Formats: sequence, C-alpha cells, structure tokens
Amino acid sequence: MRLPRALGALLLGAVLGGAGSAFQTVFGNPLVEPGFLGVSQGAALGAALALVLGAGDPNLVAVSAFALALLSLRATLLLAKAFRFGGQVLRLVLSGIAVSAFASALLAFVKYAADPLSELPDITFWTMGGLSSMGWGRLAAAAPVALASLAALFLLRWRATILSLDDEASRALGARPELERGAVIVAATAGVAAMTAVSGIVSWVGLVVPQAARALAGPDGRSSIPASMALGAGFVLLCDGLSRSLLPGELPLGVPTSLLGALAFALILAGRRAAVAR
Amino acid sequence: MSLELRALSFRWPEGALALEGATLNLEPGRALALLGPNGAGKSTLLGLASGRLKPCAGEALLEGRPIAAWDRRALARRLAYLPQAERLPFNYYVLDFVLLGRAPHVPALSQPGPGDVERARAALAELGLSALEARPVTELSGGELQLARLARCLAQEADYLLLDEPSTMLDPANARRLAEALRRLVAGGRALLFTSHDAAFSAYAAGEAALLKAGSLVALGPSRAVLVPDLLETAFGLPFKPTSLPSAFAE
Repeated sequence: MRLPRALGALLLGAVLGGAGSAFQTVFGNPLVEPGFLGVSQGAALGAALALVLGAGDPNLVAVSAFALALLSLRATLLLAKAFRFGGQVLRLVLSGIAVSAFASALLAFVKYAADPLSELPDITFWTMGGLSSMGWGRLAAAAPVALASLAALFLLRWRATILSLDDEASRALGARPELERGAVIVAATAGVAAMTAVSGIVSWVGLVVPQAARALAGPDGRSSIPASMALGAGFVLLCDGLSRSLLPGELPLGVPTSLLGALAFALILAGRRAAVAR
Repeated sequence: MSLELRALSFRWPEGALALEGATLNLEPGRALALLGPNGAGKSTLLGLASGRLKPCAGEALLEGRPIAAWDRRALARRLAYLPQAERLPFNYYVLDFVLLGRAPHVPALSQPGPGDVERARAALAELGLSALEARPVTELSGGELQLARLARCLAQEADYLLLDEPSTMLDPANARRLAEALRRLVAGGRALLFTSHDAAFSAYAAGEAALLKAGSLVALGPSRAVLVPDLLETAFGLPFKPTSLPSAFAE
C-alpha cells in the first residue's frame, strides 16, 4: 500500500469523524453528520462544478467545494426552521435529506450533461468515494485545510459541549451560541469540503463514528471529539483496506464504510448505551 | 452592591406592554420571590434583570452599571440565570454537566482545568449532590436534575441567582429540599430572585415577595406580609382562603 493513500485514509477518517462529532455536539443532535446535512453532497457538487468549468487549480476546486458545502448547510438549516413537522432533531434530519438529495441530483446532472468527454471522475467516485487516485499531490492539496480544521475542532471541543445546551442556557453561561456555533460549523465544513474534493462522498463515517466514540469515551466533547477523530482515522484506514482486498477489482470506499457503518449504527441505537435524546 | 431595577418597562415587538414601571432592589443575603398569574410579567422581569431582554423604559443596574453595558462573560460570573427547563442533549455525567458552569471563567480556546473541576465539585457538595457526580444527567430524577442545574449556576460563582420557576414540576419532598438549599445559599450571602406559583414554597425559600398583575407590581415586602389572602386575591382575581391541608412548608 502506498504511503500517501494510507495518510489520506487517516486524514479523511479523522476529518469525517471529528466533523461529525462536532456537528452532533453543537446541534445537540446525535442524528446529524456532514452527509446528512448536505455538506458532503454540496462539497462534491462544488468540486465537480469547478472541474467542469475548467479550474485545474486544486485550490480553486477546494474553495468551490467549501462554498457549495456551506451553501448547502445554510439551506438545510433554513429549511429546518421553516418545517412545520416534527421536533428539532427530526426537522434537521428531514431537511438534510431533502438538501442532500437535491445536491446529489445536481451533481449527477452536471456529470451527465456537461461532461461528455469525462473530464470528471466517474459518478461512483463522487457518490461512493474512493482513495485510489490519492497521491502526494492530492494529499498536499487537501492536507493543510484538513489539518487546520482538525486543530480548530480540537481547540473548540469544550465550547462545542457548551453549545449543545439550549441557546437560552448557553447564553446565560456567557456564550454567544449563534456566533460560536457558526465558527465550529465553518471549521468542520472546511475540513469535510477539502477532503471530499479529493475523495468523493464517503458516507456513514461522520454519523456512526461519533456515536461509538461517545459510548466508548464519554459524551463530553472534550473526550468524544478527539476520540471520534482517532476512531474515524482507524475506521477509514480499515475500510480502505477492505475496499482493495474484498474483490479482485477495487470497491468504492463508501461500500465498506456504509456496510459496517449502517450495521454499527443499528447496533449502537438498539444497545443499552444509546445516548438519550429526543 | 446590589441589583437594582428602576421603573422598568418592557414592550413586545407586537406592541403589547408586558411590564410597566417595575422597581425593586435585590441585595446579597436577601431572597425575593415573584408571584403572579401566567402572563403577568414574571419571566419578563427575570429576562430584564438577567440582560436577555432590553427595557423600553427604566433601567436595570448591577452594582451600579446598566446590565446592557456588562460584557456577557463578566456578567455571567456575577449573575446566574436559570431557565425554567432545558433539553438535555446527551447523557453527560453530572460532574461534566456542572462543569459547564465554568464557561464564563474559561477562555474561548481553552479547556477547564483542575481548579475548575474543583469548583464544580464544591458546587455539588454545597447542594449535597457529591454522590451523584458520576451519574448521567439523563438518569436523574426531576428533583435531582433541578439541583444539578442549580449546582451549574453555583459553579459560575455568581453572587446573584435568578431562577425561573425552580420548583415547578417538583414533588413536595424535592421542593422542600430545593427550598432548604436556596435558604442555605442566601444565608451564605447570595442574592436570590425567583419566580413561582407556590405561595408556601415562596414564603419558605424567600424572606421577601412581590406580586405582579398585568405587568405591574401590586405588592412588594416581607413574604409574610405579601403572601396573604387579600393581596393574593388582588393579584390572581379569585378568593384565597387559608387551608388546614398539610403542607411540606408549614413551620
């Protein structure tokens, strides 16, 4: 196995795990993750658009991915506010499903309509993810933003815990929930966008890894956010190994992450240690 | 050294006047209970006193400075406001939950240190909750949770405690436990302002009481003088009569 690919897997896993954990903490909602809130799909759409429009510069691709990821997240949050159905946990999940589906459909449209000459990687790369093309160049393009994102989330891990309280309660503790939640979201989204631009959408890691980390290391962000980064790195490295070894040809990375992630999700939510939240 | 509310008025954006000309004073070592019908302005008054709401007339001063002029972290170190209820997002351990009260003392990119943990433990001990520190908050009884939330306020090291309906939803034993805890805090020098619908609880926990009706203070003074049938009838608009039914707060 090549070193840049292994490093890419570790970095991707740490970013997805850490960002998922940060999202779940600041929204006080164990059912959100970058892929559920439209962030990953928006990032993939942004990266694909930049490539179709002829931006060869990896930095431009990453910026476009980041912009569309933030835009999708904004759309999800606005839609959740407008929904007149369900509690706040459910509303966020439902609006995320709608925005993710919309961004995914646009991505497929861009791929098939604007890309007859295959400028873009295959559609399965974007929707199921993959690290087969990860070399030193791509790693170097994504790593600075990804590492900065990890560092910021690590520093903000206790602030994130404060934000998990109701806004009225965190405000009474001297916090500025809107501003601080925005800072955590931007930090997490930047990392996810940078990695998604080079690895495609890798599902379930951001949802299930934080759940496992909370069960293993405790629910406080001080322990669960770093634990999610470590666990995510190990999980994606393992899944990348599986994607190369299960069949004679290579599987998309999203196949093992979804297989194992969905299974673990079911076991965790059905288990006795499931985090209580309504 | 006090929390002074001077002729405070508050108007909702829709134009309805929620509070008109409320004046009261809260000093360390004193406790004041606010009673009145739903919508009389109790929570509004608490909101103005804690800085969440801005008055349309009058002023709220903490230690001589308008509440609005306080930096919000500095304010949270002097004044703790406890909303009536809150959603518990995760099954935090009680100690970690109380430690969140250290938020105004810990710089933004830092983590709470051993000194902060010690303060959180002291807050738990002050309320007799030390045995619960390793329990998840989601497994506490209603009474224990209310005390744990109060411990989070104590971890703020604030001298002024503003509690919105702290005894609502508590059974008599837990309400009594809370009232005794509040008495000890006041005896220890803290200033306490809380809203309540329970005259017996209020008289037990606070030496002073105020009655609000339709946005105006209709009575203010010692609890024994304010929480009497005539004044309660004025505030609530129905006759109040002494009862011989047993109460957890009879002295």
